[in-house]
Amino acid sequence: MLVYIVIGVVIVVAVVVVAMLVRPKQDPVDSFRRQIDALSPEARKPTIDQVRDAAEDSGDNGPDES
Amino acid sequence: MARDLAIDLGTANTLVYMKGRGIVLNEPSVIALNRQTGEVLATGREAWQMIGRTPGYIVAVRPLRGGAITDFEITERMIRLLLQRVGVSRFTRPKVVICVPSAITEVERRAVTDAARRAGAADANLIEQPMAAAIGADLPIDEPVGNMVIDIGGGTSETAVISLGGIVSLEAVRVGSFDIDAAIQNHVRREHGIAIGERTAEEIKVAIGSADPTQDENQAEVRGRDLMTGLPKTVVLTPEEVRFAIEDVISSIVASVVRCLSKAPPELSQDFLVRGMYLVGGGGLLRGLAERIERETEVPVRMSNVPLEAVVLGAGHVIEHYEALKGMFMGARP
Repeated sequence: MLVYIVIGVVIVVAVVVVAMLVRPKQDPVDSFRRQIDALSPEARKPTIDQVRDAAEDSGDNGPDES
Repeated sequence: MARDLAIDLGTANTLVYMKGRGIVLNEPSVIALNRQTGEVLATGREAWQMIGRTPGYIVAVRPLRGGAITDFEITERMIRLLLQRVGVSRFTRPKVVICVPSAITEVERRAVTDAARRAGAADANLIEQPMAAAIGADLPIDEPVGNMVIDIGGGTSETAVISLGGIVSLEAVRVGSFDIDAAIQNHVRREHGIAIGERTAEEIKVAIGSADPTQDENQAEVRGRDLMTGLPKTVVLTPEEVRFAIEDVISSIVASVVRCLSKAPPELSQDFLVRGMYLVGGGGLLRGLAERIERETEVPVRMSNVPLEAVVLGAGHVIEHYEALKGMFMGARP
């Protein structure tokens, strides 16, 4: 019985190790490209417009000066 | 499913941006406690009204000073209450991005992330305030050009040069608009012999404070307590007097901007002459400050369209594009 448990544990560990090894590594060039794209004015426009629209809707003049 | 949050945990104000919703909370970073029982009596604007006007058993405090947590337990309670107010419960634990001054220590970083996690965040990451401000101020930081942002907050002033999505040079001083208020308080005490509270000092700054002479200058009547007699007393302050009182603080901020400029690579320096520098943060609203920086650096200074919300707006954008921008978190970069 103990033998089967040990074999089972070994198989699970082996599967996890193999899965980690074959997992595609994140390409740094691709990652940098995605970061720069996410910082572009086009990508930022919806966030900025969303806040601007909400401020206009509520007639809010912004927070207190600090 | 919890909506992820971006928090600008400022010394003066705390702003919260909710993914897909925008800015959902904007309140002073103040908490009022019962000193005897430890119970929270008020937070935000309500607690701010109590500063300097509480009976002995109530204390209204700002748990952050100079952008850093001065009281971990109170900060955690304040964050917990803020998160509850925007709908976070023990069953909805959002990812949280918190804007912090770039100059905070490793210990302070851990204090902020621990406070957020204990307050209900599933994961807490930090982003530097000048970087968030540059994103929120809509500067073209995705291009290989020099973008300079000056963020003057309540407790810190930070100047950063940003290009291609990263900080190229940075200069930070733990001096901000609260130091301007404190300088006014000290001046009135020393020169006129009357004590005034921090809210009165702030009102003087807003009413007649300036970093450089301006066209419309008025005097202001100031009421406080005479230090000799203990009786209420009124004095008149002039704008020149206030400028003299805050000169050391202003010089310190301008000197840090000059240091940042001098550290920037020459290729980027020439961009500033064309594009200018961008001023954000509540402290940047001080009259004459942009003109003073422009005069001393000979570089054009422009005010952001959203000076008070730029930082949380930038962090909010990071929350909206979490996977693509998670490399910008403090500690994530090599």
